[in-house]
Amino acid sequence: MADPSELLPLTPVVFHVLVALADGDRHGYAIAREVERVTDGEIRMGPGTLYGSIQRMEASGLIEESAPRAADPAAERRRYYRITAFGRQALRLESERLARMVSLARSRNLIRDGGRA
Amino acid sequence: MPDAAAAARAFRALLRAYPRAFRERHGREMELFFRDRWAEGRGAGRGRLAIWGETLLDLAASAPREHLRAVVGRRRRGRPPHDQHTPPSGEPMQTLLQDARYAARTLARRPGFAAAAVLTLALGIGATTAVFSVVHAVLLRPLPWRDADRVVAAFATTPRSQSEAVSWPEYQDWVRGAPSFAGLAIVRGQSVNLTGGGAPPDRLVGSFATASLFPVLGAEAALGRTFAPAETEEATAQPVAVASHGLWQERFGGDSSILGRTLTLNGRTVTIVGVMPRGFETPYGTPDVWLPLPFYPNTNGLSRQHASMLAIGRLRPGATPEQARAELQAVERRLAAEYPELNAGRGARVVAMREVLVGDARPVLLTLFAAVLVVLLIACTNVANLQLVRAAARRREISVRAALGASASRIARQLLTESLLLAAAGGALGLLLAHWGVAALGAVIPASLPVFGGISLEPAVLGFAVAITLGTGLLFGLVPALHAARAGLGAALATRGGTGAARGGVRGVRGGVRGAFVVAQVALSIVLLVPAGLLIRSLLELQRVRPGFDPRGVLTMEYRLPVAKYREPAQIVAFMTQAIARIREVPGVRSAALARAIPFSGNSDGFAYLVEGRPAPAPGTTPLLQLNTVSDGYFRTLGIPLLGGRDFTARDAAEAPPVIIVNRTFAEREWPGESPLGRRVMALGGREWMTVVGVVGDARHFTLADVPAAQAYLPYAQNPAVFSSVAVRVEGSAAPESLGPAVRAAIWSVDRDQPVWKLRSLETLMGGSLVAQRLTTRLLAGFAAAALLLAGLGIYGVMSHAVAQRTREVGIRMALGARGAQVLRQVLGEGMVLTALAAALGLAGAFAATRLLSSQLYGVSAKDPATFATVPLILAAVALAACYLPARRASRVDPVEALREE
Repeated sequence: MADPSELLPLTPVVFHVLVALADGDRHGYAIAREVERVTDGEIRMGPGTLYGSIQRMEASGLIEESAPRAADPAAERRRYYRITAFGRQALRLESERLARMVSLARSRNLIRDGGRA
Repeated sequence: MPDAAAAARAFRALLRAYPRAFRERHGREMELFFRDRWAEGRGAGRGRLAIWGETLLDLAASAPREHLRAVVGRRRRGRPPHDQHTPPSGEPMQTLLQDARYAARTLARRPGFAAAAVLTLALGIGATTAVFSVVHAVLLRPLPWRDADRVVAAFATTPRSQSEAVSWPEYQDWVRGAPSFAGLAIVRGQSVNLTGGGAPPDRLVGSFATASLFPVLGAEAALGRTFAPAETEEATAQPVAVASHGLWQERFGGDSSILGRTLTLNGRTVTIVGVMPRGFETPYGTPDVWLPLPFYPNTNGLSRQHASMLAIGRLRPGATPEQARAELQAVERRLAAEYPELNAGRGARVVAMREVLVGDARPVLLTLFAAVLVVLLIACTNVANLQLVRAAARRREISVRAALGASASRIARQLLTESLLLAAAGGALGLLLAHWGVAALGAVIPASLPVFGGISLEPAVLGFAVAITLGTGLLFGLVPALHAARAGLGAALATRGGTGAARGGVRGVRGGVRGAFVVAQVALSIVLLVPAGLLIRSLLELQRVRPGFDPRGVLTMEYRLPVAKYREPAQIVAFMTQAIARIREVPGVRSAALARAIPFSGNSDGFAYLVEGRPAPAPGTTPLLQLNTVSDGYFRTLGIPLLGGRDFTARDAAEAPPVIIVNRTFAEREWPGESPLGRRVMALGGREWMTVVGVVGDARHFTLADVPAAQAYLPYAQNPAVFSSVAVRVEGSAAPESLGPAVRAAIWSVDRDQPVWKLRSLETLMGGSLVAQRLTTRLLAGFAAAALLLAGLGIYGVMSHAVAQRTREVGIRMALGARGAQVLRQVLGEGMVLTALAAALGLAGAFAATRLLSSQLYGVSAKDPATFATVPLILAAVALAACYLPARRASRVDPVEALREE
């Protein structure tokens, strides 16, 4: 896993999963809920879509499994995921790329601050 | 929550749609995910359907992708992982178009295959869509009232019955005692006579209702107003009427000056104050006109004894049917203490209106829907099989493409695109078929089915059609596509991309995907054939039932004398006597009689009775009888045999001693082994003992499937009533309906203002009782026949292909001395092994399926051994025929030719 920029642009789902994991480890459903929350319901993932993405993000080294939580009762022990250093790098690069695009759009007066096109 | 556990189980089963490795890695987590979503969604009040719909969409989108990736992953192992990511944007659309064009060209080269596949799919999709349109209209579409899920039916209950009508005073007690209702209404449907205005007398469908009916249903008048509450109170009732849209159009030509005009209804002048909007329907029928309930004209109709009104309620927001029921139960307990002889054992029940309206239709509809889905599934399997055959034939093309660098995923996608194209064509043609199917179903659907607003290909149904079209495309396309991609890949990887590697993809008939398909098809068609067989036997049994009377050559009709004009019993008796005498004079009439309730007309009566000299039973347990009030000559006219004693005569007049005639079942129940003649019985709450003067045979009254009930007949002259039916037996073999006008004229010669309606032959009435059974049976039998045909074609296709594949093997064996007959036996044997395996699976499935059906069956058990034995035999015969042709071909293989082929 040499260069995270090879993975750009990230798909919206991958981007949002990384954002959701950026401030703490979460299990699958918690990721989906967080993504749904921050996108105001615009991205609502089913189990198949989410775990399909998780599978590939793990394979690309963006995220990895973290240690299970002691707080969970044994029967309900879930798999938690955390963002890797490589993932953080990819997320930062993608955010910068997006920011460049936004500032370009802004400089051409395509959008106003905080407004929509 | 059992609900959640069942959902999780179903989801776990669905996980099989994903590749094994994926499932093993993520299956448990996905299930936990689904459980969370379910619990949270249900907690927030989301519907099960909504959650399932979302989950299935997710599955349909992600499962094929994971399969493709699994194949691609195997091929590209060793490359950098990020290569597995989505291709650069822009490419997919282009590839898709390329694939679609290529697919269209390929399909056009094999028009026979394409036509067979499209037609099979069109039939499956068309039939499924048509049946779904009914399922949607009856079970899924919201009922046509505002916030219809708060509209409920309220019934009284007794130890014998869960759905009893209520009386006017009982209703008023309910209203006072049940705060959970935002509104509670009662209605009593009854025909009303419309007279005056110079036109012939006519009958309108009337509904006597409380003012609350309209707000309960959330309806407002389109013109004018509905009733004010005081107008339907007993003390302050006003002669006002609300007209239906239909009545306004027909009688008043849609004239907006209708408000304030008057009609003469039941001899009373009423003022029209409002017109309801077009298409307004109430749960219990669509009347022409609504009148205030206090004008309900029956004698003592507003008394506590007369419980004949149906209650409709609207729950307050947040109130549950259980709360409402508990409140009504409390009222009933008070009433039982106050009026023990009337109300002992009486309770109350509150049910969602949908449950009341749909009733028994739900299992029938779901059975039919399941059946048509099975046919669709079999059709998919057939097309998948066709695809496999083609893929096998195209192996060379596929391996060339693979050798030229097409990835396995590309090949699979290519084949999947072809399948989707076929499905789209099948879906389009299927919609056309569904359009006709819906029209045909709409024409034959029984009136008892609550279809508000009719059935049509409305948006939800179209959406369903699109969904199943895509679903079928994936279903029959995925397996062949993956199969071919793997085979193609194998061929490309083999050093010599020839037949050797390719043959690896084609196993014998018994093993392999195609064998499994055939087993599935045959098993599924058995699951359909057994219930269809049971329903056919049940219908035959029903048609064999002798109703206890002779329905041929009998004309029936109904009338209701206006109470305002016929106040005295003597007036009613005089009308009855004159009318019957005039009718008997009509040429062509052999005999005629009056009856309150002609069998199969839907009219009925009954009471709880006491037998003289026996201790009175505990309240609420008094035995019931079916009652009919008839004139003399009724038994002769209907052909009900007189088994003992005598018929009523003119001597059984109002002032003569009260008499009663009982049926055989009644006599055997009360006086087994003894003569009932001279015994006396009395209605519970009645005043006079009635002497049994005759015994007649049993007559089925509601349906042919009735269990023989205790029945009794009273003479009209001693029990005059304004409502009556006329039964006329015609001379010879004349069509009964042909005498209708003359009989009606005979009644008009007694009272020229008296409307007469429902002129129908008794055979028509009886036929009506079987409409639903006939329709269900025909549909299910049709689906089963389609399944059988498709399964037969499936077997034939697989066997022919297998034989063609093994020409060389057969050739060698014949060269080594095997005879044609041996080869024939062997091929037939292989086909039969598949069939036997399928039959075992199918019978087990049918055993489970028919349990759902047992309430629909008459005279035949859901485990009927004859049906369970016959169906596999029919299937074996079809399978034998389907195997025979390919087997014969194999037995005639010329060894020299076969060996030269390679």
